[in-house]
Amino acid sequence: MSPFTDTDPKQFIADFYASFHNDLLGSDEDPGLIVDRYHTPDVVQVADGHWMDRDKLVAHTRPVRKNRPSGRWDVHDALVSGDRIAARFTLYVTNRTRDLAIESHMFAQFTDDGRMRQAHILTRTLPADAGPGQPMPEMSERQVRPA
Amino acid sequence: MTESTYSVRGMVCGHCAGFVSEEMERVAGVTAVAVDVESGEVTVTTDRDLDIADVRAAVEEAGYELDDRHSRRP
Repeated sequence: MSPFTDTDPKQFIADFYASFHNDLLGSDEDPGLIVDRYHTPDVVQVADGHWMDRDKLVAHTRPVRKNRPSGRWDVHDALVSGDRIAARFTLYVTNRTRDLAIESHMFAQFTDDGRMRQAHILTRTLPADAGPGQPMPEMSERQVRPA
Repeated sequence: MTESTYSVRGMVCGHCAGFVSEEMERVAGVTAVAVDVESGEVTVTTDRDLDIADVRAAVEEAGYELDDRHSRRP
């Protein structure tokens, strides 16, 4: 059984982040309960070398709720192996004072019920005038196989 | 020059550090800002004494929360 069995991996990632984000901003529910719906209790995220456990994820919900950014996750590529997924996506954020586009490259592991167990993410902020990210072109037979 | 260190809750990544730095640099008298995300510490170099209310307002503007702990080194 894989959390990605019945869904397109790109859609899975887009839905995961959008749903988590909407739950945080759409109610005053205890942020710990929301974090727990989307992450295992022993979750570990490492973003650009910064280590985050459940407590840090919960603490980070405060600035999200305070700034109330709108977010859109444009997933360009996603590959699945068992309960793991590798994805490349761009997060478009607009809040009170700024517009941001953050390109992200992620390796992650999810439980069967779709909660994140661990994720390693590298990000870079794109220039303000950057266009949308593009999917990788399909590799030809010649590119895949060494000559 | 005075260097003061403040404790800020809720920062988890480099983007958080950037948001807090951006707001702190707008406070009159601030000449440099260094953020340590892991410890939650923001070290501010200033050419005058800062009002803690201004520091708190800048941190809040970024969306984060100032802890009461802070230290000051001339």
